[in-house]
Amino acid sequence: MHEMGIAQSTLDAVRKEAALRPGYRVAKIVVRLGDLSGVDTESLSFCFDALVQGTDLDPLELVLDQVKGDALDLAYLELEEIQEGTANGNHPSLVGEESSQ
Amino acid sequence: METTRVSLEKKVLSENDRIAATLRDQLHQRGILCLNLISSPGSGKTSLLECTLAGFHPATRVGVLTGDIQTDNDARRLARYGFPVQQITTAGCCHLDARMIEKSLKLWNLDELDLLLIENVGNLVCPASYDLGEEAKIVVLSVTEGEDKPLKYPATFHRARAVIINKIDLLPYVPFDLELAKRNVRAVNPDAEILETSCTTAAGLAPWREWLQQAQAQANTRQPAAV
Repeated sequence: MHEMGIAQSTLDAVRKEAALRPGYRVAKIVVRLGDLSGVDTESLSFCFDALVQGTDLDPLELVLDQVKGDALDLAYLELEEIQEGTANGNHPSLVGEESSQ
Repeated sequence: METTRVSLEKKVLSENDRIAATLRDQLHQRGILCLNLISSPGSGKTSLLECTLAGFHPATRVGVLTGDIQTDNDARRLARYGFPVQQITTAGCCHLDARMIEKSLKLWNLDELDLLLIENVGNLVCPASYDLGEEAKIVVLSVTEGEDKPLKYPATFHRARAVIINKIDLLPYVPFDLELAKRNVRAVNPDAEILETSCTTAAGLAPWREWLQQAQAQANTRQPAAV
Protein backbone atom coordinates (compact mmCIF):
# COMPACT_ATOMS: atom_id res chain seq x y z
CA MET A 1 0.00 0.00 0.00
CA HIS A 2 2.27 2.79 -1.20
CA GLU A 3 -0.42 4.54 -3.22
CA MET A 4 -0.75 7.23 -0.53
CA GLY A 5 2.90 8.14 -1.10
CA ILE A 6 2.42 8.14 -4.88
CA ALA A 7 -0.67 10.36 -4.48
CA GLN A 8 1.28 12.71 -2.19
CA SER A 9 4.16 12.94 -4.69
CA THR A 10 1.67 13.72 -7.46
CA LEU A 11 0.12 16.50 -5.36
CA ASP A 12 3.55 17.89 -4.48
CA ALA A 13 4.28 18.18 -8.21
CA VAL A 14 0.90 19.83 -8.83
CA ARG A 15 1.58 22.39 -6.09
CA LYS A 16 5.00 23.14 -7.52
CA GLU A 17 3.54 23.77 -10.96
CA ALA A 18 0.65 25.80 -9.56
CA ALA A 19 3.07 28.07 -7.71
CA LEU A 20 4.77 28.89 -11.00
CA ARG A 21 1.50 30.06 -12.56
CA PRO A 22 -0.26 32.76 -10.53
CA GLY A 23 -3.77 33.54 -11.76
CA TYR A 24 -4.42 29.93 -12.68
CA ARG A 25 -5.56 26.87 -10.81
CA VAL A 26 -4.91 23.26 -11.69
CA ALA A 27 -8.13 21.52 -12.78
CA LYS A 28 -6.79 18.19 -13.94
CA ILE A 29 -3.65 16.11 -13.63
CA VAL A 30 -2.99 13.20 -15.96
CA VAL A 31 -0.79 10.37 -14.67
CA ARG A 32 0.48 7.69 -17.05
CA LEU A 33 0.38 4.35 -15.28
CA GLY A 34 1.90 1.15 -16.68
CA ASP A 35 0.50 -2.31 -15.96
CA LEU A 36 3.92 -3.15 -14.45
CA SER A 37 4.10 -0.01 -12.32
CA GLY A 38 3.00 -1.90 -9.23
CA VAL A 39 0.41 0.77 -8.46
CA ASP A 40 -3.25 -0.03 -7.95
CA THR A 41 -5.48 2.41 -9.84
CA GLU A 42 -8.46 2.33 -7.49
CA SER A 43 -6.29 2.73 -4.44
CA LEU A 44 -4.38 5.61 -6.02
CA SER A 45 -7.61 7.42 -6.95
CA PHE A 46 -8.98 6.89 -3.46
CA CYS A 47 -5.82 8.23 -1.78
CA PHE A 48 -5.61 11.15 -4.18
CA ASP A 49 -9.19 12.24 -3.51
CA ALA A 50 -8.67 11.88 0.23
CA LEU A 51 -5.62 14.15 0.11
CA VAL A 52 -7.25 16.79 -2.12
CA GLN A 53 -10.56 17.03 -0.30
CA GLY A 54 -10.96 20.25 1.64
CA THR A 55 -7.66 21.77 0.52
CA ASP A 56 -7.08 24.77 -1.73
CA LEU A 57 -6.54 22.34 -4.63
CA ASP A 58 -10.07 20.97 -4.36
CA PRO A 59 -11.58 20.23 -6.91
CA LEU A 60 -8.79 18.55 -8.80
CA GLU A 61 -9.43 15.73 -11.22
CA LEU A 62 -7.00 12.81 -11.45
CA VAL A 63 -7.00 11.03 -14.80
CA LEU A 64 -5.10 7.75 -15.08
CA ASP A 65 -3.80 6.95 -18.54
CA GLN A 66 -3.25 3.20 -18.36
CA VAL A 67 -0.52 1.89 -20.64
CA LYS A 68 1.73 -1.16 -21.03
CA GLY A 69 5.07 -1.23 -19.24
CA ASP A 70 6.36 0.21 -15.96
CA ALA A 71 5.54 3.90 -16.49
CA LEU A 72 4.64 6.00 -13.46
CA ASP A 73 4.76 9.44 -15.02
CA LEU A 74 3.15 12.84 -14.70
CA ALA A 75 1.97 13.33 -18.30
CA TYR A 76 0.37 16.77 -18.23
CA LEU A 77 -1.94 19.02 -16.28
CA GLU A 78 -4.72 21.37 -17.26
CA LEU A 79 -4.95 24.91 -15.90
CA GLU A 80 -7.99 27.13 -15.55
CA GLU A 81 -7.87 30.87 -15.14
CA ILE A 82 -8.95 31.79 -11.62
CA GLN A 83 -12.26 33.73 -11.71
CA GLU A 84 -12.94 36.83 -9.60
CA GLY A 85 -13.86 35.92 -6.03
CA THR A 86 -12.22 32.52 -6.13
CA ALA A 87 -8.66 33.76 -6.30
CA ASN A 88 -7.87 32.63 -2.77
CA GLY A 89 -9.32 29.21 -3.39
CA ASN A 90 -11.91 29.60 -0.63
CA HIS A 91 -14.83 28.63 -2.84
CA PRO A 92 -14.07 25.23 -4.17
CA SER A 93 -17.72 24.36 -4.64
CA LEU A 94 -18.27 27.38 -6.89
CA VAL A 95 -15.25 26.50 -9.02
CA GLY A 96 -16.51 22.95 -9.14
CA GLU A 97 -19.87 24.05 -10.57
CA GLU A 98 -18.21 26.20 -13.18
CA SER A 99 -15.79 23.58 -14.37
CA SER A 100 -18.46 20.94 -14.64
CA GLN A 101 -20.42 22.83 -17.29
CA MET B 1 -14.22 27.14 -19.22
CA GLU B 2 -11.02 27.42 -21.22
CA THR B 3 -8.19 25.29 -20.05
CA THR B 4 -4.49 25.40 -20.77
CA ARG B 5 -2.57 22.17 -21.06
CA VAL B 6 0.92 22.08 -19.56
CA SER B 7 3.13 19.15 -20.46
CA LEU B 8 5.04 17.71 -17.49
CA GLU B 9 6.52 14.42 -18.76
CA LYS B 10 8.42 13.46 -15.66
CA LYS B 11 8.30 10.63 -13.17
CA VAL B 12 5.77 10.87 -10.36
CA LEU B 13 8.61 9.89 -8.03
CA SER B 14 11.06 12.33 -9.58
CA GLU B 15 12.09 13.64 -6.16
CA ASN B 16 12.91 10.11 -4.97
CA ASP B 17 14.64 9.41 -8.29
CA ARG B 18 16.71 12.60 -7.99
CA ILE B 19 18.05 11.54 -4.58
CA ALA B 20 18.60 7.99 -5.88
CA ALA B 21 20.58 9.31 -8.84
CA THR B 22 22.81 11.31 -6.49
CA LEU B 23 23.36 8.22 -4.34
CA ARG B 24 24.11 6.12 -7.43
CA ASP B 25 26.71 8.70 -8.52
CA GLN B 26 28.37 8.62 -5.10
CA LEU B 27 28.45 4.82 -5.11
CA HIS B 28 29.71 4.61 -8.71
CA GLN B 29 32.51 7.06 -8.05
CA ARG B 30 33.77 4.84 -5.26
CA GLY B 31 33.24 1.60 -7.19
CA ILE B 32 30.78 0.37 -4.57
CA LEU B 33 28.35 -2.35 -5.59
CA CYS B 34 24.91 -1.68 -4.08
CA LEU B 35 22.20 -4.35 -4.14
CA ASN B 36 18.57 -3.98 -3.08
CA LEU B 37 17.09 -7.24 -1.75
CA ILE B 38 13.33 -7.51 -2.09
CA SER B 39 10.98 -10.33 -1.08
CA SER B 40 7.80 -11.10 0.78
CA PRO B 41 8.12 -11.32 4.59
CA GLY B 42 9.72 -14.54 5.76
CA SER B 43 11.29 -15.70 2.51
CA GLY B 44 14.76 -15.61 4.04
CA LYS B 45 16.40 -12.30 3.09
CA THR B 46 17.99 -11.93 6.51
CA SER B 47 19.12 -15.58 6.60
CA LEU B 48 20.63 -15.22 3.15
CA LEU B 49 22.45 -12.10 4.29
CA GLU B 50 23.69 -13.93 7.39
CA CYS B 51 25.08 -16.76 5.21
CA THR B 52 26.60 -14.20 2.86
CA LEU B 53 28.28 -12.22 5.65
CA ALA B 54 29.46 -15.41 7.36
CA GLY B 55 31.30 -16.37 4.18
CA PHE B 56 33.20 -13.07 3.88
CA HIS B 57 36.78 -12.54 4.98
CA PRO B 58 36.75 -10.26 8.06
CA ALA B 59 38.55 -7.58 6.04
CA THR B 60 35.73 -7.43 3.48
CA ARG B 61 34.49 -3.87 3.16
CA VAL B 62 30.76 -4.56 3.30
CA GLY B 63 27.92 -2.68 4.97
CA VAL B 64 24.27 -3.66 5.41
CA LEU B 65 21.19 -1.48 5.69
CA THR B 66 18.16 -3.44 6.79
CA GLY B 67 14.63 -2.08 6.65
CA ASP B 68 11.68 -3.09 8.76
CA ILE B 69 8.45 -1.50 9.85
CA GLN B 70 9.27 -2.15 13.50
CA THR B 71 12.05 -3.70 15.63
CA ASP B 72 15.81 -3.86 15.17
CA ASN B 73 15.81 -7.67 15.29
CA ASP B 74 17.40 -8.00 11.86
CA ALA B 75 20.18 -5.51 12.57
CA ARG B 76 21.01 -7.37 15.78
CA ARG B 77 21.10 -10.67 13.90
CA LEU B 78 23.32 -9.26 11.15
CA ALA B 79 25.65 -7.31 13.44
CA ARG B 80 26.99 -10.60 14.87
CA TYR B 81 29.18 -11.03 11.80
CA GLY B 82 31.32 -8.01 12.64
CA PHE B 83 30.45 -5.80 9.67
CA PRO B 84 28.75 -2.41 9.91
CA VAL B 85 24.95 -2.76 9.99
CA GLN B 86 22.22 -0.16 10.35
CA GLN B 87 18.55 -0.79 10.96
CA ILE B 88 16.12 1.51 9.16
CA THR B 89 12.81 1.42 11.03
CA THR B 90 10.14 2.83 8.75
CA ALA B 91 7.42 3.08 11.43
CA GLY B 92 4.62 1.91 9.19
CA CYS B 93 6.01 2.65 5.77
CA CYS B 94 5.88 -0.46 3.58
CA HIS B 95 9.06 0.16 1.60
CA LEU B 96 12.42 1.92 1.79
CA ASP B 97 12.89 5.10 -0.24
CA ALA B 98 15.97 6.95 -1.41
CA ARG B 99 15.70 9.58 1.33
CA MET B 100 15.98 6.90 4.04
CA ILE B 101 19.09 5.48 2.38
CA GLU B 102 20.62 8.95 2.02
CA LYS B 103 20.01 9.65 5.71
CA SER B 104 21.57 6.34 6.80
CA LEU B 105 24.60 6.62 4.54
CA LYS B 106 25.43 10.02 6.04
CA LEU B 107 26.44 8.11 9.16
CA TRP B 108 29.03 6.05 7.26
CA ASN B 109 32.25 6.89 5.48
CA LEU B 110 31.56 5.50 2.01
CA ASP B 111 35.28 5.36 1.29
CA GLU B 112 35.41 2.40 3.67
CA LEU B 113 32.94 0.29 1.65
CA ASP B 114 33.14 -1.88 -1.48
CA LEU B 115 29.75 -3.51 -1.11
CA LEU B 116 26.47 -2.17 0.22
CA LEU B 117 23.64 -4.63 0.77
CA ILE B 118 20.18 -3.21 1.37
CA GLU B 119 17.48 -5.45 2.78
CA ASN B 120 14.16 -3.88 1.89
CA VAL B 121 10.97 -4.15 3.95
CA GLY B 122 9.32 -7.54 3.36
CA ASN B 123 6.85 -6.73 0.61
CA LEU B 124 6.61 -7.82 -3.04
CA VAL B 125 4.66 -4.76 -4.18
CA CYS B 126 5.74 -1.34 -3.04
CA PRO B 127 9.57 -1.58 -2.96
CA ALA B 128 9.54 -2.07 -6.74
CA SER B 129 8.52 1.55 -7.31
CA TYR B 130 11.32 3.13 -5.28
CA ASP B 131 14.78 3.46 -6.74
CA LEU B 132 17.31 3.43 -3.88
CA GLY B 133 20.33 4.19 -6.05
CA GLU B 134 21.18 0.50 -6.22
CA GLU B 135 23.08 -1.21 -9.03
CA ALA B 136 20.56 -4.05 -9.11
CA LYS B 137 17.47 -5.41 -7.43
CA ILE B 138 17.58 -9.00 -6.21
CA VAL B 139 14.27 -10.74 -5.54
CA VAL B 140 14.18 -13.63 -3.09
CA LEU B 141 11.38 -16.17 -3.47
CA SER B 142 11.09 -19.13 -1.12
CA VAL B 143 9.65 -22.49 -2.08
CA THR B 144 6.95 -22.25 0.58
CA GLU B 145 5.38 -19.27 -1.18
CA GLY B 146 4.04 -20.84 -4.35
CA GLU B 147 5.51 -20.87 -7.83
CA ASP B 148 3.07 -18.32 -9.23
CA LYS B 149 4.48 -15.36 -7.27
CA PRO B 150 6.34 -13.95 -10.33
CA LEU B 151 3.03 -13.83 -12.21
CA LYS B 152 1.20 -12.29 -9.27
CA TYR B 153 3.86 -9.63 -8.63
CA PRO B 154 5.24 -8.98 -12.12
CA ALA B 155 6.32 -5.39 -11.39
CA THR B 156 8.84 -6.59 -8.80
CA PHE B 157 10.14 -9.63 -10.69
CA HIS B 158 10.32 -7.65 -13.93
CA ARG B 159 12.86 -5.27 -12.38
CA ALA B 160 15.13 -7.94 -10.83
CA ARG B 161 18.66 -8.56 -12.07
CA ALA B 162 18.63 -11.89 -10.23
CA VAL B 163 15.95 -14.04 -8.60
CA ILE B 164 17.02 -16.28 -5.75
CA ILE B 165 14.78 -19.27 -5.07
CA ASN B 166 15.44 -19.93 -1.39
CA LYS B 167 14.72 -22.74 1.09
CA ILE B 168 15.29 -25.41 -1.59
CA ASP B 169 16.00 -27.90 1.21
CA LEU B 170 12.22 -27.90 1.76
CA LEU B 171 11.43 -28.98 -1.81
CA PRO B 172 10.72 -32.61 -0.84
CA TYR B 173 8.10 -31.45 1.66
CA VAL B 174 6.15 -28.79 -0.24
CA PRO B 175 4.17 -28.92 -3.48
CA PHE B 176 6.42 -26.43 -5.23
CA ASP B 177 7.18 -26.98 -8.92
CA LEU B 178 10.69 -25.58 -9.31
CA GLU B 179 10.72 -25.72 -13.10
CA LEU B 180 7.33 -23.99 -13.29
CA ALA B 181 8.60 -21.31 -10.90
CA LYS B 182 11.57 -20.67 -13.19
CA ARG B 183 9.32 -20.52 -16.25
CA ASN B 184 7.15 -17.99 -14.41
CA VAL B 185 10.19 -15.86 -13.59
CA ARG B 186 11.28 -15.98 -17.23
CA ALA B 187 7.77 -15.10 -18.41
CA VAL B 188 7.99 -11.69 -16.72
CA ASN B 189 11.78 -11.30 -16.91
CA PRO B 190 13.62 -13.37 -19.52
CA ASP B 191 17.01 -11.88 -18.58
CA ALA B 192 17.03 -12.48 -14.83
CA GLU B 193 19.68 -14.77 -13.43
CA ILE B 194 17.98 -17.50 -11.41
CA LEU B 195 19.81 -18.94 -8.42
CA GLU B 196 18.71 -21.63 -5.99
CA THR B 197 19.79 -21.56 -2.36
CA SER B 198 19.24 -23.06 1.03
CA CYS B 199 20.54 -21.26 4.09
CA THR B 200 19.98 -24.42 6.14
CA THR B 201 22.08 -26.82 4.05
CA ALA B 202 24.23 -24.14 2.37
CA ALA B 203 23.23 -25.59 -1.03
CA GLY B 204 23.63 -23.07 -3.84
CA LEU B 205 25.47 -20.51 -1.72
CA ALA B 206 28.67 -20.94 -3.75
CA PRO B 207 27.05 -19.89 -7.07
CA TRP B 208 25.42 -16.94 -5.25
CA ARG B 209 28.80 -15.84 -3.88
CA GLU B 210 30.25 -16.21 -7.37
CA TRP B 211 27.47 -14.07 -8.82
CA LEU B 212 28.15 -11.47 -6.13
CA GLN B 213 31.88 -11.47 -6.86
CA GLN B 214 31.31 -11.01 -10.57
CA ALA B 215 28.88 -8.16 -9.99
CA GLN B 216 31.38 -6.57 -7.64
CA ALA B 217 34.22 -6.94 -10.13
CA GLN B 218 32.06 -5.16 -12.70
CA ALA B 219 31.28 -2.35 -10.26
CA ASN B 220 34.93 -1.94 -9.40
CA THR B 221 36.10 -1.78 -13.01
CA ARG B 222 33.55 0.92 -13.70
CA GLN B 223 35.27 3.16 -11.16
CA PRO B 224 37.97 4.70 -13.43
CA ALA B 225 35.43 5.55 -16.11
CA ALA B 226 33.17 7.34 -13.64
CA VAL B 227 35.91 9.53 -12.16
